[in-house]
Amino acid sequence: MLNRTESPKLIPTTDIKIPEAKVLYINDQIPVIVVNEGTQEVMKVELVFAAGNISEKIPMLASVASELLDEGTRKRSSADIAEALDNYGAYFQTECGNDFATVSLYTLSRFLPETLPVLLEIITEPAYPENEISTFCVQGKQRLAVSSEKVDFLARKHFINSLYGDQHPYGHFPKEENFDVFTPEILSAFHKKNYLNGLVTIVIAGKFNETQLKLAIEQIKSIGFKKGIVDNLNISATPEVVKLHVPKESAVQSAIRIGRKLFNRKHPDYFNFTILNTVLGGYFGSRLMSNIREDKGYTYGIGSGIIPQFFDGYFFISTEVGSDVCESAVKEIHYELNRLVNDPIPQEELNLVKSYLTGSFQRSIDGPFSLADRYKTLVLNGLELEHYYSYLNTLRNVTSEDLLQTGRHYLNIIHMSEVIIGR
Amino acid sequence: MIKFDRFTLSNGLTVIVHEDNSSPLVAMNILYKVGARDEDESKTGFAHLFEHLMFGGSINIPSYDEPLQMAGGENNAFTNNDITNYYLTIPSQNLETAFWLESDRMLSLAFTEKSLEVQRNVVVEEFKQRYLNQPYGDVWLALRPLAYKVHPYKWATIGKEIAHIEDATLEDVKSFFKKWYAPNNAILTLAGNCSLDTAKELCKKWFEPIPVSNTPIRNLPVEPKQTKLQTIEINKAVPNSNIYMVWHCCSRLDPEFYATDLLSDVLSRGKSSRFYQRLVKELKLFTDISAYMLGDLNKSLFMIEGKIINGISMEVAEKAILNELENSKIYISEEELQKVKNKVESSLVFSEMSLDSKALNLAYYELIGDANLVNEQIAKYQSINTEEIMAIAKEIFQPENCSILYYNSIK
Repeated sequence: MLNRTESPKLIPTTDIKIPEAKVLYINDQIPVIVVNEGTQEVMKVELVFAAGNISEKIPMLASVASELLDEGTRKRSSADIAEALDNYGAYFQTECGNDFATVSLYTLSRFLPETLPVLLEIITEPAYPENEISTFCVQGKQRLAVSSEKVDFLARKHFINSLYGDQHPYGHFPKEENFDVFTPEILSAFHKKNYLNGLVTIVIAGKFNETQLKLAIEQIKSIGFKKGIVDNLNISATPEVVKLHVPKESAVQSAIRIGRKLFNRKHPDYFNFTILNTVLGGYFGSRLMSNIREDKGYTYGIGSGIIPQFFDGYFFISTEVGSDVCESAVKEIHYELNRLVNDPIPQEELNLVKSYLTGSFQRSIDGPFSLADRYKTLVLNGLELEHYYSYLNTLRNVTSEDLLQTGRHYLNIIHMSEVIIGR
Repeated sequence: MIKFDRFTLSNGLTVIVHEDNSSPLVAMNILYKVGARDEDESKTGFAHLFEHLMFGGSINIPSYDEPLQMAGGENNAFTNNDITNYYLTIPSQNLETAFWLESDRMLSLAFTEKSLEVQRNVVVEEFKQRYLNQPYGDVWLALRPLAYKVHPYKWATIGKEIAHIEDATLEDVKSFFKKWYAPNNAILTLAGNCSLDTAKELCKKWFEPIPVSNTPIRNLPVEPKQTKLQTIEINKAVPNSNIYMVWHCCSRLDPEFYATDLLSDVLSRGKSSRFYQRLVKELKLFTDISAYMLGDLNKSLFMIEGKIINGISMEVAEKAILNELENSKIYISEEELQKVKNKVESSLVFSEMSLDSKALNLAYYELIGDANLVNEQIAKYQSINTEEIMAIAKEIFQPENCSILYYNSIK
């Protein structure tokens, strides 16, 4: 008779082997990460620039410069660019983060010869035409107005503001008047400094042949990009511990954000904190989810995370809860934070989190694009492959006592900002 | 090309296996052929509420998530009008744990009052978060009953109203399970590091003992042909006005699906599309505008949603859309068609990059006829010509086939 009450014997994953990526160097030591594997003949060519928010002197400059890259070059209109890529079913993605801006091309590998030149054209010769700037700004203001109706957007904004203040580029949140200052000259100057002279790394991932790879490298090489570095901050963050309740009468749910400034991947406590955060709110079975969703039913979802950045990082808890239970939800969040400060994590729970995170890591290196992302993180942060092995090692060996120390250090409520948007 | 094998257990469970040993993981997907369309009109939102309850413990196992996480696995699920789909990925050496968990909840749930009470609350919060507390979040709640008069697509998957979820009883839940959750009403797919022999052995051990159930024969009312233009207005304090237009169109199963899908691509896929170039860039009437078909298993809807630039009137916006639709009836160039075909090919190839999406795709195509359709999609799109697309435009873009929601911004 089949025994359905007992779990089949579990075999722990040991010895995760991270597949090797090739790293080449071009033009004055700019790294090119090459990951060639998988089953689908597609490619991603991604260029990463020191052109994130941190590099901007005017609020939103970095993101506007990134978003308008494909809206016209010296040779082609935005319509022609769109046509040139759409014809081959390829597409661009531009992203502007706090530290870096990336431009990626996703294409069927066989169309690389046709699509790559378009990518390189928008990166090297954007014209930032006046009319495209004004269209973008009209749309941007209107999208901002829609976002500003959302409680989670407002909570994030006030929370980040409490961590960095208005002056720091990490703290820049769009305001309507910010849209009115951009001219082709301002954008072009930023582009020259931070794109043409700001290339940090290149990622080529997917399934392709030697000819396609050689073509990609030769064409990028021929542009003559200069290597970029992320500027040292000369503006200091002005973190404040705030307790803020911003009323929004029409809201049927309140957004809650609680958290604090913290550190990045290079900090000795980063791994321990990552594991501790998972226990608290980093997976479906986390304490916040188990208590506030699965036991009380106050919310559709609650989670916590650590956001590592180039210069520092921050920790946050976020959720949207029924307006009538907001106070109770905050109380339960405090309760869960205090538990991690005061009591060791039971062995069984810790083992579960360790297994979950090991599986998660395996998933994160599965497939060429995911694997390439792992290598990109290393290169951008000046880390070696050893970083991941050391993480896996911590995952095997960390004890409840170690994590209690971490909790005591970093999860004390008196250091947390608290933002609530709602009734 | 996705290679696969297929077999059926004696209790009717269809199993599809795609072996890929380049990964240490396996994705398991279980598709149950039940969705919001199978609900009683006085008890809507049930299929989705039920999806939540599937995580509240099964007959022999008190928790679903814990053992899965202990095995290094991760999972999720979704419900739509037609299906309820559960999926997970797990390191291959622990694959049997997935079989243990999934077979037990196919066998029977624990059905506790506590789990029902909590999940009712969770789903009510989901309703608020996604439909009530977002600007324009209630669009489908208003559009569906406008477009459909009798077919169950007239309510959204989340449910017609919050009260239906709040009123759900344990008895309702049990009978829903009994009716629809059975091996003969499901498709199981495996993709990744798992051989056909292993799959057969584990299926035989864990799933084959589950008894067959008398799944009802679906007999849904057919939506009568719409005979005149229908409009409604919502006036709310939102930042700008939007327009939503839906037309009745074919189902995912009809041969016209491919031409209809390409029509939506000609109109709005990518920045070189007609809508974007003409209505966003040239005339500057919208911040965003898109056209897509829902692709349901019964007669479905073709949707156009436009976010209107402040200062532009609803009339001007509507007229400009209608003008583009008229154009699509009389002219589509060969180049335009080739372009959207290339885009479709590219997105199909990209959509098969991960094990879980391969597993889902195989299950979905099996549902609509044959898993091997996954390998025939590109050819089916390639066979369409411009005449066929223009014929579809002529057929569906008629005023009497249209329902419009004017979402007006009031200050």
